[in-house]
Amino acid sequence: MLAATETADIIIRVSEVLINELKLEDVTPESFDPDIDLVDEVGIDSMDLATVALVLQDEYGIRIDEDDYPKLTTVRFIAQYIHDRRA
Amino acid sequence: MKTVSSLLDPEWHARYKRIAKLNIRSSIYDVTNKCNLRCKGCFFFSSDEHKVADEEKDIHKWENFIDKEMQRGVNLAILIGGEPTLYLDRVEAFYRRLPTFCATNGLIKVPRDRFPNMMVGISLWGDEADEKVLRGKDTFAISSKNYEGDPYTYYLYTITPKQIGKTERIIRKIRDVGLKVHMQLLSNDEGVDGFSWTPGELEAVHEEMDAMLDRYPETVVSCKYYHQIISTGMMLGRRFGWQECPSVTKPLDIRDPQPKRLIEFIRWASDLNTMHRCCTSETRDCSTCKDGAAHMSWVMVNKRAHMRSSRDLQNWIEVYEMFAKLYQFIPW
Repeated sequence: MLAATETADIIIRVSEVLINELKLEDVTPESFDPDIDLVDEVGIDSMDLATVALVLQDEYGIRIDEDDYPKLTTVRFIAQYIHDRRA
Repeated sequence: MKTVSSLLDPEWHARYKRIAKLNIRSSIYDVTNKCNLRCKGCFFFSSDEHKVADEEKDIHKWENFIDKEMQRGVNLAILIGGEPTLYLDRVEAFYRRLPTFCATNGLIKVPRDRFPNMMVGISLWGDEADEKVLRGKDTFAISSKNYEGDPYTYYLYTITPKQIGKTERIIRKIRDVGLKVHMQLLSNDEGVDGFSWTPGELEAVHEEMDAMLDRYPETVVSCKYYHQIISTGMMLGRRFGWQECPSVTKPLDIRDPQPKRLIEFIRWASDLNTMHRCCTSETRDCSTCKDGAAHMSWVMVNKRAHMRSSRDLQNWIEVYEMFAKLYQFIPW
């Protein structure tokens, strides 16, 4: 499990990147549900995810393998992934 | 924030979920520079693409190349040419490794003992008269005998302006030999007299395509949104063209800004080294391109743009389902 503060920080930042890069409307990083399914509910596709991954890779100094995209189905899973790669 | 479930009822949402994670990654391969027909308006020959590269003849090099393509993430090989069935060993190298679609004129029968469930798309350019004018012979007479009743084959019917008012007869002929059909529109790359579209003809063919889908839903693999897009060249207020096309070869794509596009898409020449600009002819005017797959892909890569309303998202689903059926990712 992520440390509580780090959890909150990464989740908020991932939400912010998603909202900015995908130009999502009527939602803020604070109100974005970290457990909502990004494909089934938000409607993102693999190209969207690649765009978001590029930003997060640069920001957190990690590599997000394309083979791992299918696992990154929610903001919380992405945050956990980033945390694990940085550890 | 609009979500998928806020826009779709449970039945549509289930349809959405069935396709949303397919992640189809296609690339196109010229299997050969040779063909057993020389059709007027064939983009491959009219733009001299058959001369840009000497085809690779070593089957082991083809096999190694395909393995590298799979490592690149390609999960759908679309084989064109020339006529791919002239070199079945190359076709087989693809088929044994990954989902493969083979475009053909149907004059040579793909042996089903070697290719039991490979999807085959037979090109058809109209009725007997149009086929003779544009292709030199009535190919349907031969291809329909070769593939009658084949569950993994459909006709790719390229409708010409001269076909307006005559498409039903063609659809019935296809139905009567137990095959399915997908419709697209001729791009008339060689400017054959009388085969370029006028706005009125495009309107008329749009209506006719809709009528064929209504009357022959078991035979026609299509949807009305696709008919609208391909006949008007417009999607959500945007016009199809170079700046919008999703089917540009990635390493050659210097557009800025980049539009939504097919991930890592490449169209390879048969030397396995040369790349073509896009899924069709480099000499084609993108503003009049009628390529069916490019227009379908245009819709498919713009999913979130279709999350404006329930109807828009349903349209997107129908186009994606159509593509997935044509390339065998979901059943008919």
